[in-house]
Parts: sequence; structure tokens; C-alpha cells
Amino acid sequence: MFSFVIRRILQALLVLLVVGLVAFAMFNFIGDPIDNMLGQERTQEDVDRLKERLGLDQPFVVQYAKFLLAAAQGNFGVSYEQGRPVADILAERAPATLELAAVSGVFALTLGIVLGVFTAIRRDGFWANVIMTLSLVGVSLPTFLIGILLIYLFSVELDWLPSFGRGDTVQIGGWSTGLLTTSGLTALILPSITLGLYQMTLIMRLVRSEMLEVMRQDYIRFARARGLSERTVTFRHALKNTMVPVITVTGLQLGSLIAFAIITESVFQWPGMGLLFINAIQFVDIPVMAAYLMMISVMFVAINLIVDILYVAVDPRLRT
Amino acid sequence: MLMFRYAAISALALACASAATAETIRWAGTTDPQTMDPHAVNSAPVLGFLNNVFEGLVRRGKDMSVEPALATSWEPIGDGEGWRFTLREGVKFHDGAEFTAEDVLFSYQRASDEASDTRSWFAPVSGVNVIDDFTVDIMTSAPNPIFPDSIANWMIMDSGWAETNSATLPDKENGNYATLNANGTGAFMVTDRQPGLSTTLTPFGGWWDEAEHNITEATFTPIDNPATAVAALLSGDVDMINPVPIQDAARVDQRDGTKVIRGIEARVIMLGFGHEADQLKYTAMAGEKNPFQDVRVREAVAKAINVDAIRQTIMRGSAEEASQLVSPAMRGYSDANAARTAYDPEGAKALLAEAGYADGFSFGLKCPNNRYLNDEAVCQAVTGMLAQVGISAELDAMPVQNYWPELRADNFDMYLLGWSPGTFDHEHPVRFLVTTPNAEKKLGSWNFGGFSNARVDELLPMVQSEIDDTKRQAMIDETVAIYQSEHAYVPLYVQPLVWGVRDNVELTQRPDNFFILRWVTMN
Repeated sequence: MFSFVIRRILQALLVLLVVGLVAFAMFNFIGDPIDNMLGQERTQEDVDRLKERLGLDQPFVVQYAKFLLAAAQGNFGVSYEQGRPVADILAERAPATLELAAVSGVFALTLGIVLGVFTAIRRDGFWANVIMTLSLVGVSLPTFLIGILLIYLFSVELDWLPSFGRGDTVQIGGWSTGLLTTSGLTALILPSITLGLYQMTLIMRLVRSEMLEVMRQDYIRFARARGLSERTVTFRHALKNTMVPVITVTGLQLGSLIAFAIITESVFQWPGMGLLFINAIQFVDIPVMAAYLMMISVMFVAINLIVDILYVAVDPRLRT
Repeated sequence: MLMFRYAAISALALACASAATAETIRWAGTTDPQTMDPHAVNSAPVLGFLNNVFEGLVRRGKDMSVEPALATSWEPIGDGEGWRFTLREGVKFHDGAEFTAEDVLFSYQRASDEASDTRSWFAPVSGVNVIDDFTVDIMTSAPNPIFPDSIANWMIMDSGWAETNSATLPDKENGNYATLNANGTGAFMVTDRQPGLSTTLTPFGGWWDEAEHNITEATFTPIDNPATAVAALLSGDVDMINPVPIQDAARVDQRDGTKVIRGIEARVIMLGFGHEADQLKYTAMAGEKNPFQDVRVREAVAKAINVDAIRQTIMRGSAEEASQLVSPAMRGYSDANAARTAYDPEGAKALLAEAGYADGFSFGLKCPNNRYLNDEAVCQAVTGMLAQVGISAELDAMPVQNYWPELRADNFDMYLLGWSPGTFDHEHPVRFLVTTPNAEKKLGSWNFGGFSNARVDELLPMVQSEIDDTKRQAMIDETVAIYQSEHAYVPLYVQPLVWGVRDNVELTQRPDNFFILRWVTMN
């Protein structure tokens, strides 16, 4: 077990280094931050001077090495756009993204499992078919389109929910939370649905197919024969055995919830890290992009690692 | 279905009217002002926003004319050795400090420092002399008739405040106190600043001028997704957005409670040529001479483009045709040269045949796709129109972050450019776009194609130092006649301004695209 964890951690570090290298190689193609930083009346001399000062005249490998060296000391540089330390900006934006991801994760998981079980038990029922058909829509519509549709329906036409932003937030220590105010909670509804919809349908379909599989097994038949109530059979015996793949998918999807919040955040002008990243791309704010990408890859790698370890913990057969 | 119901129920349960009071204005734009330091960055989002907070010696009125602000009057010294400004007495900064000539001197030193983007504004200045507490002489190395016009965005900062907070120079790379805080003399104070998220302004009680507005609080939120901004306006979450995407303008207009305010911006959109390059860079006929060096070919391009069609279809009627590099609202617009080369595809073909290109040629057209309104669509239209006269453009559209480096590296045969003169004077585009590039004299720094005309180079310093308006205009007219007949650029149209507001907001839209809060009333 121990050597397994060590091996996986070493692999993870290698993955991180490669991701960073690829990211830095690509920054050259995103464009040039210089014109955003200097005004219309800049001269070529100003351009060259600033380039040199920022180290942009050096090959990307050198830039990457410098970034790694500073990052190892906990210094992620200063944003070109805002002129503030990147670490401060990320810390400021993280609560918004994490709260959004958590709420939509809970939404996706709860509704996904409930609907999955429901559609599996009533597999030929009318409502189960309706839900299955609608879930196809959820899987196939792109996130930004769902977001825009929800905004137009609930904000513009019905005027029930705010169209953008986070509402009022309360500052607790270094954490700004929108979970304690009504306007903060209302502001969470549309973005969490938008962000969680795909995950919800995914989990629902997964739970459904696993349930159908499990329900055919002998032990379920025996459980019924023992006279156990239908509820006990479904939730204690059947559902529990569908959980291994669900845990994997949920774990991996938690990462995507945070990473793909970019689109949802941009549609709802949600002040999180994804929006920060989008703005950073437009401005070619290399320190922000680099720090964000590294953070996301650390997160993905960590989640994968945890899922792998959980696997072993949940399924005794994997312990060799 | 279930989800929709879920959302609806939660919405009802949580719905709470967070209706803002009538005098709070919430507005949204695409770009957050990246700093609160008025000398650090010379960009429209920063200067436009800070015009509400800081003031200069002069300011621009609703019609863009220059009017007294922190200076009550100004007059030339001697034969044009400089300008004497008489300062307004009794003006206070937001922190209560008094405004004096010291602050003007300090702001000159700060804004003209190498660390400041605004440095180029002071290229003509040789020195600033404080005569007494309320008189300042700004000396220029040559007579400079438009100097007072050119400093409307030069904002005065309190010297004591800057020293106390160690912000005597702007610091763009690491930021300092002035990056996040502001202390001006303007009608509004910055009371809350969250970079990239929102900025709140409140009226300054000690402002020297009579307030025309009735705002008690103003909040700016950057919303970069245009569809979200339109939704926010339609749903009443914001009171004003800039810009409204042209394709959404009709919808905003039709809806109850919102309307569109249209105008003409100071920005002229034009096509530029690679004049200097001996060969085309993107062509099937490699090795041959660059056809755009022939003025007949450039004229043919001008004749081939149907600007009216672009205006009607892509701009949905909201732009204005341009004949020169400035719009008619700018100082120095040449009435003598107001006629644009007419659309004449047959004439264009004839010219091409005469120049020896009867069978046409192919070349590369570079274009940004997120810089100007519908820029890529305009380039596609241009490509189509040029194809009709037999020359085939290979369009390469890219985000602006990649576009400027491409232009700087001369990777184009023809390109699209928009220019908004910072000084609102015709001299500005001539200096940046038409004179021969000269890094030392800081001339022609945006003349990517390298157009060069000895007479224009000769005329520019004369224009810059001519005090007499009629003589000056005659020189500008001559310059315009040259760049028009040489077809140095093909001016297309003046870009429209399209703002969306709620019906209860009354505001003034200025051609510089600045949203000036002191002219806003909420009913």
C-alpha cells in the first residue's frame, strides 16, 4: 500500500512538470501582453524595455524554470493586469469557485442518485422515460447555452433570479461566503444548475445502468425471498453495490466542476477563478494563467490519487 | 422538468426584493479599469473611469469642447514659449487637502516620468514653473497651439497624499497604494475597489462645481460576456451597459423599460497597406513586386469597397462613412477634403488593368477578431468586395493579443486598423500613422506599413507649432490632400457607439466613449 502511494505520488509530480512545460510552450501562441500593458502612444523602445524587464524575451523553457523556482518558494509572481500578487488574487477568488462547485456537486450527486434509482426501478414507467429523454438534452446541450437559456427564462422573462454575480457576501476570516445571505443563495441557483446539469445526468445514467445490472443478480433475488422490504433491498443491498463506479466518476467530476466552472463563471459573471482565468487569457496575463493552470493540474492529480486510494479501500479485491 | 420546478420553487422561496434606491446607478462595461492610478496606464477604460474621480487643469464638455476645470483661464506666454494657467482657488482633494500649484508641478513630474504611460503627452513640454500658489507656467520647446486641448486627461494628484502613501511614481508591475486607492478633486470618490469585480463611487461633498447629477452611489461591474451584459440590463440588474452588441440593439430598444443610445465614436476604421515591403508576403505569385506600391492599385482598393453596404448590413445603419483619418467632430477635420473615394468597381478594374494586374493577384489580409465592433465580419465583406474586382485576399483573423505582434513583425500585405485620436485633433493620426516611422523622434509609431511622404514629414512640425488657426488648417488640408491622393490608407467608417440604458436614466454620450457620471440623472 505504502509503496503504491509513493509510486503514484512520483508519477503525479512528473505529470505536473509536463503540464507546466506544455502550458508555458503555449503561452507564446496566446499573444503578447505588452500592447495591453502599454498605451496607444507607446514606442518600440518602450515595448523592448518592458519585454526585457518581464523576461519575455527569453525562451519559454527559461521562463518556465524561473516560474518553477519562484513557485517552489511560494511566490507566484505579480499579475500583469492588476499589479498585485497572483497568490492574493487567487485566494480572493477561490471561495466563489469552491462554493459554486460544492453546491452544484451536491445538487448533481443527490438528484443524480435519486433519479438514477427511480428510473432503474420504474424502468418502463412514463416518468422514467420522460426523465431519460430529458437527460439526453442535459448531456448534449453545451453549458453556455443552458446558462443563457436559464438566464433568459428566470432573470429576463420571469425576473425571479439575478442574472449575474454572486449577490451579497459575508466575510468570514479570509473566506467570502454567499451561503449566509438570501441574495447570495438566490445568486447560486442558476449557476449551480448550469454547472451541475451535465454531471447530474451523467451520475443518473451511471446509477441507473449499474442498478439494472445489480438488480438482476442472485443475491437481490435471495434478499427479496428473505422477505426484506423493497426499500431495504433497493437502498441497502443494491445501491451500495453500485457505488464503486459512482465514487470514481464523482471524484473525477469534482475536478471538472472546478475546472470547467470557467464557462459557467463567464456566462454568469461569477467572480471566481475561472472568470479570472478567462480575463487573464484576454489580457495575456501570464503569471495568473500559469498559477491557475498549475493549481488545476495539482488538483486533478490529487483527486486521481485519492480516488485510486479510495478504490483500494472500498474494494478489497484490489488489495493484492 | 423536475429541475425547472425545483429552481422555480427555490426562487419563490428565496425571492427577495433587493431593489436599489432610485439614485443608485449600477453600470457595466467590458473592461475593468486595471488601475486607479491616472498616470500609470494610458487606456480608454482607465482614463474614462478616472475622469469621474480626478480632474485636469481643463476638461471636456458635453460637446467635447475644452472648458476650465482646475484652471480658470490660460493664455499663451510671449510668442508661444508656453502657456500660463491660472488655477482655481478653494478646490479640495477628497481627503480634504487643498489644491495648489505644487500639486500641478508634482503631477507633471509624476505623469511625465519614464514609469508613466502618459509620458508622451508631455513630449512638447520643456519645463513647468510655479509662479505663485495659483499660477503655473508650462513651457514648451516650440509654440504649441493645441497644448491645452491635449491635456484634458492629464489628471492632478495631491502631492502630499502621494508622498504619505509612497506613491510618488506609478508602479505598474508591482502596484502601490495608488493602484487601489484614489484621491482626486473630481465629483466622485472611490469608496470600494475590488479589482476585476466591482468598484463603487460616491459623490464628493466638497466638490468645487455645482452638481448636475442626482446620484448617491454608483457601482461599476465589468461583465465581459456581451450576452450576460444584455441580460443584466433587460432584467434590471444593471442600469446601463456599454456596449450593446449591434445585433442585440433592436431587442433592447423594443423592450419596455430599456432603450439604446446611439452615437458616433471618435474612432475611424481603415485599411492599411504594406507600402515598404518590396514583395507580397502571402501570395501565390512569389517573388514579384508588391502591387500595393503602385498608387493605382491602392486607389482601386478604395474604389472596390462599398462602405455603404458595410454600414447598412454589418453595422445595421449605425456607422458613418469616413473620408479621412478623423471624424468630422474632431479639431482639424478637413472640410476641403470631405469627399470619400466613390464606390466604383468598374473603375477599380480599369485601374488594376492599367497597373498591369488585369488578371488580379492574391495577397494576405490581417484582421483582429475581438478589437473593433464586428471587425472580422467587416474583413470578410472587404475580402468579398475585393474578389469582385479580381484581387483575392486571403483573410487571417485573430485575437488582438496576437494581432499587434503580427503587425509589429510586418506580417501582412494589408491590414485593418482603428484609430481614435487621444487629443481629438487631426495632428494625432498624422503623427502616429502617416509620418515616416522614426523611433528617435517618436513619429509614425503605428505606421506599420511604412508609408512615407517627404512633404507630410515637413508639414507635421509646422502644424504642431502654428498658432494661427486658419494657417494651421491650410497645412492640415494639404496633408490630407496628400494622404488621400496617395491612398496611404483607405478610411472606411467611423465606429458607432451603442449604449443600453434603462428608461429612467438620463445621460450624455460623448464621442470619446467616456461615461461621465456627473451628467447622469435618475428619474
